[in-house]
Amino acid sequence: MLRYLATRLLRALLTIAMVVTFAFVVLRLSGDPALLIMSVDAPPEAVEAFRTAWGLDESLWVQYVKYFNAILHGDLGRSMRDGRDAIQLVAERIPATLALTLPALAIKIGIGVPAGIYAALHRNSLTDRVVMTLAVMGFTVPSFVLGLLLVLVFAVQLGWLPSGGDGTWRHAVLPVVTLGVGGAAVLARFTRSAMLEVLGQPYIRTASAKGVPWHAVVRGHALPNAAIPTVTIVGFMVGSLIAGAVVVESVFSWPGVGRLLVVAVANRDLAVVQCILLLVAITMVSSNFVVDLLYGALDPRLRQSRAGGAG
Amino acid sequence: MTKLTRRAALAGAAALTLPRPGLAQADQRPAITIAVQKVVNSNTLEMAREQSNVGSRVFGCYAEMLIDTDWIGDLSLRPGLATAWRRIDDRTVELDLRQGVRFHNGDVMTAEDVVFSFGPERLWGAGGQQAGATLFSSSAAGAAGKAPPPEVPAIARRTYPGFERIEIVRPGVVRFVNRTPDVTLEGRIARNVGMIGSQRGFAEAESWLAWARKPIGTGPYRVAEFRPDRDLVLEAFDEYWGGRPPLRRIRFVEVPEAASRVNGLLSGEYDFACDVNPDQIVDIERNLRFEVVGSTITNHRLTVFDTNHPQLRDARVRRAFTHSIDRQVIVDSLWAGRTAVPKGLQWEYYGEMFQADWSVPAFDPAEARRLLGEAGYRGDPIPYRLLNNYYTNQTATAQILVEMWRQVGLNVQIDMKENWGQIFDRNSPRAVRDWSNSAVFSDPVSSISASFGPQGQSQQVGESRNEEFNRLSVELETSTDRPRRRVVFRRMLEIAEREDPLYTVLHQTATFTAKRKDIRWRAAQAFLMDFRASNWGV
Repeated sequence: MLRYLATRLLRALLTIAMVVTFAFVVLRLSGDPALLIMSVDAPPEAVEAFRTAWGLDESLWVQYVKYFNAILHGDLGRSMRDGRDAIQLVAERIPATLALTLPALAIKIGIGVPAGIYAALHRNSLTDRVVMTLAVMGFTVPSFVLGLLLVLVFAVQLGWLPSGGDGTWRHAVLPVVTLGVGGAAVLARFTRSAMLEVLGQPYIRTASAKGVPWHAVVRGHALPNAAIPTVTIVGFMVGSLIAGAVVVESVFSWPGVGRLLVVAVANRDLAVVQCILLLVAITMVSSNFVVDLLYGALDPRLRQSRAGGAG
Repeated sequence: MTKLTRRAALAGAAALTLPRPGLAQADQRPAITIAVQKVVNSNTLEMAREQSNVGSRVFGCYAEMLIDTDWIGDLSLRPGLATAWRRIDDRTVELDLRQGVRFHNGDVMTAEDVVFSFGPERLWGAGGQQAGATLFSSSAAGAAGKAPPPEVPAIARRTYPGFERIEIVRPGVVRFVNRTPDVTLEGRIARNVGMIGSQRGFAEAESWLAWARKPIGTGPYRVAEFRPDRDLVLEAFDEYWGGRPPLRRIRFVEVPEAASRVNGLLSGEYDFACDVNPDQIVDIERNLRFEVVGSTITNHRLTVFDTNHPQLRDARVRRAFTHSIDRQVIVDSLWAGRTAVPKGLQWEYYGEMFQADWSVPAFDPAEARRLLGEAGYRGDPIPYRLLNNYYTNQTATAQILVEMWRQVGLNVQIDMKENWGQIFDRNSPRAVRDWSNSAVFSDPVSSISASFGPQGQSQQVGESRNEEFNRLSVELETSTDRPRRRVVFRRMLEIAEREDPLYTVLHQTATFTAKRKDIRWRAAQAFLMDFRASNWGV
């Protein structure tokens, strides 16, 4: 088990290192931050001075080594545009983003999983078809379209909720619903598929044939076995809590990490972009790590194989 | 030391709890919210740094210049923080300062504040105003130091290329002195770079950045809170010399999506929605509670050429570009006819400098094909670096242009870019890009020279260089012979728009602001929004 954990941890660290490296290289190949931060009005000598001050005149390799070394020492750099620590800028925005993504996650799980289970248990019924039609609509409609549609109905026509901005819980309703609906649709479809696959297994028929009540079969045999793919999707959703609302934050003018990311990318504010991507990578990797552990809890066969030393 | 007795303390506490009519009375003035795409680009409110269309929208609320411009009326210069001005000679303007003007920190404006506002602390850095001399405050654009970041002296030099000094003649009277003769000094003084700030306010700011995010000006509203990339809250400054402001509070809030701005207006959250697209106007005005105001402003959209590109070195190819554009089609199809094709890079408010008989190159595809044939152009690709709708209708305009150019045989390929840094990047071939030019005062120096002259952005980024044009540009800036200046300007237009095109004008810019119909408010012929008492009513 320890070996399994160590392997997973090593993989997680490698993934984070790769993300950091990729972000570092791509950002530096996609535009000169000196021109963007200093503006095109700045005289050439000023632009050069800026590059020198930020180490942008050094070779890419030297910059990379310094950057990586700084990360290892807990220094995520300073914003070239704002002058403050990048982590401070990002940390200021995280609560706003979580105020959207956490309730949205609750909606996704709270609606998507029960809907998927219900549809699977009533396969080919009218309810199943209605649920699946809504699910298909839910994840095929882009979030910016859904967001604008909700605004038109609930803000412009009915006047019940604000169309954007922040400040009160009412401002969060439409963006949370916009985020939640798409995710709930995805979860409903995955849960339904997983349940249908499990319900077709011989051990379900055996349990039923032995006279186990249907609700007990579902609860005791079908749900735990169908949970693995659902947990995997939920893991991805948890991993995208920090930067999973970029489009929705733009549509609803919500001052979260997503909008900061858009502005930072547009201005090539390297430290801020890298800081956000690093946090996203850490969140995603951590979430997947937890999901891996949950697999063992959900499936005794995996638990036993890990205890036996399989990686 | 004064002894605080129990009786005195009780009396003080009682006094604090008693109703005070002046303070207890609620401020009945309205507070409004204005949805904008961006409040400012640089995340500063210092106009010597924030030289953008969006920034010029908000600055008039909190800052003023010595000489004002009648942006809503006839665009003429009018008294601002100076009540009068007069020419001493070709290089000198003397100004009488308005008495009793207060800054937002309560200080009375003095001649020393004016000198500070045009001085090294605010504009030039420790190197002074000599070309090339800059002091780098910090690598984070002034985050820590007190000196202005390097782009500020660059902007100042471009705005006041001949600036020598500003001096106090006597209390209440200052002189703006140029090194060289300049008939446009008054117009330059009226530019927003010359906003008058409080010397004490600057001294007390922790850093240049702190000042730039909360400048202490004299405008009708003071900066209450500025959250970069989010919003700007302004509060009424009741000691404003021009009378009590009509609004208690103005909040400019960033709403990047145009549809979201309009939705917020229609749902009642915003009172104004700026940068409305022309195709949204009909839908907005279908609701009788709202209207769209605004029209053409003193800004033209241009296509700019990099004459160093192998396909564009031959002026005949660039001339072909200019003749193959049916500008009226763009105006009619994308702007619903709400803007116009101007007479080149000039505006009627130039007065005697306006060349009424000038026009943009005629739409003449046959002439364009002839020129391309003469130039031996073989259809080699010409890159067109494009931002995604930085300007209204920018992408759609570009697509129409590319098709028009294709009709005459020009193989122009759109190369989408994310930012201006990528537009100006010299590491790969540049050829065609978009731009807009404003006339910030009523003389061609403010546009054609400022943009395409030796100190202009186009030459600064290495796009083009025409020696005769440069000589004329300097002459236009320094000559005081008005008939001669008119001839010089004419020749500059001939070179830059016909003979050796540096750019070609597409159409005049129009800006549209949607608002509540019950608010009586007039849009300026510029991006600036005026919320003084003279321009407000409900």
